[in-house]
Amino acid sequence: MNEIALKELLYKIADDQLILGHRNSEWTGFGPLLEEDIAFSSMAQDKIGQSYALYQMLQSLGEREPDTVAFTRNASQFHNCILVELPNGEYDFSLVRHFLYDTAEAIRFEMLSESSYQPLADISKKIRAELRYHTLHANTWMKQLGSATEESISRLQNSLNLAMPYALGMFEESPDEKELISSKLFGGEQALKERWMKKVEEVVKQTNLSLPDWKTLQPVFGGRVGKHSEHLQPLLDEMSEVFKIDPAAEW
Amino acid sequence: MKSLDPRVNRLPLIGQPGEILPKVPLDQFGTFEVFVQPKEGKPFQHEGIVHAPDLEMSFILAKEAFTRRFTCVSLYVCDTRSVYVSPMTDGTNNAYDFIVDNVEQKNEKTSYEIYHLLKRGKQHTHVGTVQAGSPQEAMTQAKKAFKNDKIVYNIWAIKTSDIRFTSPEEKDLWLTLPEKKFRDASDYKGGDKLKAFLEKSNA
Repeated sequence: MNEIALKELLYKIADDQLILGHRNSEWTGFGPLLEEDIAFSSMAQDKIGQSYALYQMLQSLGEREPDTVAFTRNASQFHNCILVELPNGEYDFSLVRHFLYDTAEAIRFEMLSESSYQPLADISKKIRAELRYHTLHANTWMKQLGSATEESISRLQNSLNLAMPYALGMFEESPDEKELISSKLFGGEQALKERWMKKVEEVVKQTNLSLPDWKTLQPVFGGRVGKHSEHLQPLLDEMSEVFKIDPAAEW
Repeated sequence: MKSLDPRVNRLPLIGQPGEILPKVPLDQFGTFEVFVQPKEGKPFQHEGIVHAPDLEMSFILAKEAFTRRFTCVSLYVCDTRSVYVSPMTDGTNNAYDFIVDNVEQKNEKTSYEIYHLLKRGKQHTHVGTVQAGSPQEAMTQAKKAFKNDKIVYNIWAIKTSDIRFTSPEEKDLWLTLPEKKFRDASDYKGGDKLKAFLEKSNA
């Protein structure tokens, strides 16, 4: 087993979960209706819980403890894709991102449930079940708002157009991509992307939304190698505020 | 730089002098009733309501609103207007005593789910299913099937086809990561921490 490749894989997934979990948690108390606020916050908490599980796995492979990893790195040391760090904007953007990201995430963990690294396969099976709700939630909102009123359709369409190049950035390949695939640690970004495109098309087809032509889209890469937008560092600063005041604080 | 934090951008706008406006009515969705099955083999019980744009969304929103922390194996929802309610009693009478024994029988029968309230302030709990042509007939059928010595404060009847159930494939919605103590407020031991902090600052 190539441990460097495995760690890189775990870091990028855990970082995605942590950053989007934090971003989505910014809606807590501000959701469009109480019930949706609870649901969205709860899923944000799930994501942070999942990142914690993966950081613990990294710790068992010799990395530093989860709090240190989550709160003391700078933006350039994070491996998350740029999609998850973008500001929330209006709820339509957050919802579209939730749909595009969680669809990929659900397939990713389904693929990882067959990973040759057993601890990862085991935890992926559990996370996959948790994500069932996330994708059900996202798909239902997309179908409803994507065929409701002129305003809801145009809002989702604009957000979809905006998010799509960033969404393709989720599939930025690892430096050891070939090795990840040949050692059966992970089926690879390309395979994931193809399944994701099909699933996205399947849901969008049931709405009045249209997908941009895949061929004309230019993916926004860089996040996986630490090249982030200007939005990540302020997020990290806020997220680590308490930890930086008192690293020994329990909360 | 303009703040990226929605909490800052969504503060109420400051008004203009001399502006006196009527209060705007609440723009709210309708309500849906949520029933939860706490364990396999246990009956479904009424857990509360959610606001939602429609039945399907109410199912989605009910899942996190009512089964986020507690054990649950299944839930279902229906529009509040689909629930037929018997007269409420004060506990000296059985609600079934207010249900007539004979109602007009209709040829077309469909199934209704029946719920009992056995104590004031408790939840309505599912007791069984009857076949009937109307909600009134469902109550009469329920009286034949489920009335016993126990005082029932109130009876509900809901047409089975009005309910959005959890499908068998959706059952794994509740198979989540086991270590979720961070979801329990008690696990943060806020009281203990506050006490320790106050003792420290008073010392």
